[in-house]
Amino acid sequence: VQPPEKPLQAEEWNRLRENFRSPEIFEEVMLNSMIRCNSPIDVAKSLLTHVAKCNGDIAYRTLVKYLTLCVQQRQVSEIRDVYHIMKGKFKVLESGAYNLLIKGLSDSDEWRMALTLLEEAKKIMIPSRTSYEFCIKAASRHQEMKLAFELYREMLAKEVVPTLDVLQSFFDFSRGLKGAELQKELFGILLYLREKQIYPHETFMQSIKLWFESIPGGNWKGHLTNIKDSGKCPVCKHQLEDSDLTEEEYSILSERIIRDVIHGTDTFRKTSPQEFEAFQTFVENRLPFDIVIDGLNVSHINAKKMQCENLLEAVNCLAKENVRVLVLGRRHMLSNSSNWKREIMNEMQNKAHFFFAENISEDDPFLLYATLRSGKHCKFVTRDFLRDHKACLSDTLTRHLFRKWQRGHQICYSVFSQQPALRYDCVVQTTGDTWHIPYKDVFEEKYSYQVPRKWLCIQQK
Amino acid sequence: TQSANMLLRKIVTSSVLPFAARHGMKKDLFPLSRTLSLSLCLKQDKSCEPSEKLDLDAWKKVMKSGLQEEVSETVSEPKELSSLAAARETLEVWRLAGRLVPENISEEQLKTFMECPSKSAKKKYLKYLHLKELYKKNDKRKMEEKRERKLKEEEETPKTDETSNKSPFLCLWSKTMDKAYSWRAAQSMIFGQPLVFDMSYEKEMSFREVSNTVKQLVLSESSNRRSVDPFHIHFCNFEDDSLYHREFIKHYREAWGKLLITVTDQCYTEVFPKDKLIYLTADSPKVMKTFDHNKIYIVGSVVDKSIKKGLSLARAKRLGLETAALPLDNYLLWNVGAKNLTLDQMMHILLTLKDTADWKKALEFVPKRKYCGFVNKPVSELKKTLDLINTLKFGKRQEEVQKQFRKSYSKKYKLK
Repeated sequence: VQPPEKPLQAEEWNRLRENFRSPEIFEEVMLNSMIRCNSPIDVAKSLLTHVAKCNGDIAYRTLVKYLTLCVQQRQVSEIRDVYHIMKGKFKVLESGAYNLLIKGLSDSDEWRMALTLLEEAKKIMIPSRTSYEFCIKAASRHQEMKLAFELYREMLAKEVVPTLDVLQSFFDFSRGLKGAELQKELFGILLYLREKQIYPHETFMQSIKLWFESIPGGNWKGHLTNIKDSGKCPVCKHQLEDSDLTEEEYSILSERIIRDVIHGTDTFRKTSPQEFEAFQTFVENRLPFDIVIDGLNVSHINAKKMQCENLLEAVNCLAKENVRVLVLGRRHMLSNSSNWKREIMNEMQNKAHFFFAENISEDDPFLLYATLRSGKHCKFVTRDFLRDHKACLSDTLTRHLFRKWQRGHQICYSVFSQQPALRYDCVVQTTGDTWHIPYKDVFEEKYSYQVPRKWLCIQQK
Repeated sequence: TQSANMLLRKIVTSSVLPFAARHGMKKDLFPLSRTLSLSLCLKQDKSCEPSEKLDLDAWKKVMKSGLQEEVSETVSEPKELSSLAAARETLEVWRLAGRLVPENISEEQLKTFMECPSKSAKKKYLKYLHLKELYKKNDKRKMEEKRERKLKEEEETPKTDETSNKSPFLCLWSKTMDKAYSWRAAQSMIFGQPLVFDMSYEKEMSFREVSNTVKQLVLSESSNRRSVDPFHIHFCNFEDDSLYHREFIKHYREAWGKLLITVTDQCYTEVFPKDKLIYLTADSPKVMKTFDHNKIYIVGSVVDKSIKKGLSLARAKRLGLETAALPLDNYLLWNVGAKNLTLDQMMHILLTLKDTADWKKALEFVPKRKYCGFVNKPVSELKKTLDLINTLKFGKRQEEVQKQFRKSYSKKYKLK
C-alpha cells in the first residue's frame, strides 16, 4: 500500500482500511510502508490517533513500528514520549524496542538517557552488540573516552563481539588526544585484533594510521607496504615475527589434535585404536620427517593424468636429497588398478616413506599427527583447507593456534605452482617502537584461509 | 476512482500546500496537486469551510489516560519478580512484539527456556513450542468441524432400516484385526527373522532427537505388526529408566509391557552369533545387493540432526561386524538430502524386501523429494530432467550439478 502524503481524518483512515484486503493487519502494513517511504511523522501520528480513538489502545507492535519511524527521522522528543508511554503500559520491554530507543537517543543531546536505557536493558537480557555500539559511539563523540572504554570492556566480559566499526570509532575519536592511559587502551584494541587474528579493512587501517600520527609528541610515522616472502619489512627493515609456535603452544596443539581430532568421542569414527597404534610406532621408528604429503589429495591435482603419476610428480619434485618425505595413503592404492600402477607405486616407495591407512579410515588426522610429531621444521602438503579438522578442536584458543601453525606449515601444491608456507606470521604485531598491521584492501570478509599481503608499518622516530 | 477521490479530498483539506512544501513530499505529485487545488479552491471557495482540526498527539492522551488507573494498581504489587515470573513477562512482551512465541507455556517449558544456553537457542525453542501449539489448535479445529459435519449429515439423512444395512461383523472389525495382528507378531517372536534396533545412542543425542527417535520406532513397530510376515523386533542395549524408556512409556502407557517385541539390556553380539549380524549404516563402504533371510540386520536407533558422520559405522567397527548400506545410488537418481533414512522408512524398506525381494518396490519408501527417479530409463534422459529441475530451482548452477552427478555415477555411466 502507498501511505498517504498528509495526515488523514478518522473517516478517511476507515475508508482506506475497509478497502484493504486484510483489515486486521492494516495498521502494521501501513506503518511498514511508511517506514519504507520515510513518510512524514504527522501522517503516522494521525494513524495512531485514529487507532487509539477506535480501540482505546495501541498494540505494542504498532508502537514499535512508530518508534522505528521516529528513530529513522531522529524525532528525539517523540522517541522520549513513546518511551514513557511504553514504560507506563508494559512492565518490561523487549530487546527490539530497547535497541531502537538506544539508537534513537544516542546521537542526540539526550545521549545520556541512552546509557540509562542500556542499564535498564541489562536487567532483563544481554544487550545486543549494536546497542553497545551506539552507546560507545555516543560516549566517545562527547569525549567521554573513559566511559566508552568501560562499556567496551563490559561488552568483552559478556562475550558480546564488538563490530569492527566500534573499534574503528575508538581510533577516530581519540585522534589528537593526549594521555598515557588512553594510549594504553588503544594498544589494547590492537592486541585484541592480534589475539583474535582479525585483519582490519582499509578504512579502519587509515584510522589507525591517522591516530598514531596524531599522538602529540609521539613522533609516529606510518607507511603502507607489501611484505615479501622473506618477512622483512621494506620500510623499517624489521624482521616480522616468525610463524613458529612456542614450545608450550606446540605441545598444547599436538595434544589437542590427538585428543579432539584423532580420538574425538570415539576413536573408531576416524580410525581404530589398533591402526592408530600401528601408525604411531611406524612414525616413531622413522622420525623426523621434513615433508608429509597427503597422497590422495595430491593425486587428484591433474584430472587428465593417472592418479599415481600425479603423486609421482609431486614426490619427485619434493624429495630432493636429504629430505625425508612421508606419503600418507589408503590401502586401495596398492591394488594395482587402472589409476594405481604397481610399478610406479614401487618406484615411489623407494623415494619416500609410505603409510597406508584402511580404506574406511580418514588420512588427514594422520597427516596432522605425523607433521606435528616431526617437529617445527616439518611441513605438510595438501590442498585441503582442513576446516573440518579445525572445527573438531574444542576451544577458540586452540583453533587460533591451529590456524597459525597451518599458515606456517602448509604447502599448497598445484599443477602450476607450489605456494610455500609463510615464514613470518601474519598478525598484528609490535616491538614497542614499531607496529606492523596486516590489512584487507576490500571491505568484505576474506576467506578464513586467505591472508592479506598488504601491511601498515608504523615506527617511532 | 478511489485514488482520484483521495486526491480530491486531500486537496480540499486546508493545509496541503504549506505542509507539503515544508516536508518536501513526493515531487511528482506536487505540480498536479497545485493546479488542481487552485481550480478547486476557486470553485468551492464559498462552500470550503475550514475542516475539523486534527489533533495529532491525541493518541498520547488516550494511552496515558488508561495509565493512571493502572499505576495506582501496580503500586501495591511487590516490585521484585521471581526469575520465573520475569521470564514469563519477557515472553509476554515478545508475543506482543510479534515474535513466534507460544500463548501458553508450562512451568517446565519455561524452565527449559531459561536453561537454553544462547539467544538463538531460546528463539528456536520458542518457535518450536509455538508451532506445536499451532498444530494442536488446527487439529482440534478440524476435528470439531468434522464432528459438526457428521452430525449435520446424520440429521439430513433419514434413518432408514438400520438392521438390514449393518453387517454383523462390522462392530468387531478393529478388535478382530488387533487380535490377528497380535497373533502374527506372536508367531514372529517364535519363528520370525530377528531385526535388531541398537539403543545405545542416547548419549549422542539431544532430548528432542531422542523423542523423535522414539516416535519413529513407534511407527516402525506398528507397521511391522501390520505386515503379512513381521520381523521379530529386538531392542538391544536397552537400559531401564533411560530417556528412551521414559519416552516409550509416554507413547505406549500400559501397552508398553504387552508389546510383542524383545527388549534387552544385552548387546546384540551377546544374543546372536557375530557372523550372522549385519549393521546397516549409510556410511558403510559395502553396498547391500540382496536381502538375506538368514542374517540379522541391525539398525541404529539414532536421529542425527547435527553432523555426526560415522557414528554407527564406528560401533560396527568396534565390534568387528559386517556392515552394509542400501544401494540407493544404484537404483535412484539421487537429488538432494542425506542418504540416512528415518527408522520407519527403513522398516518399510526391509519389510518389502523380505516379502518381495524387489528393490524398486522397496525403495519407493525413500522420500520422493530426495530423488528424481529410478535408474530404469536411460541415465542421460534422467539426467536431463535432473538438470532441468535444478536449473529451474537454483538458476545457473549446472556445472555444480554435473560435477555432483559425475561424482555419484562416474564409474557406471558415461555422460554425453
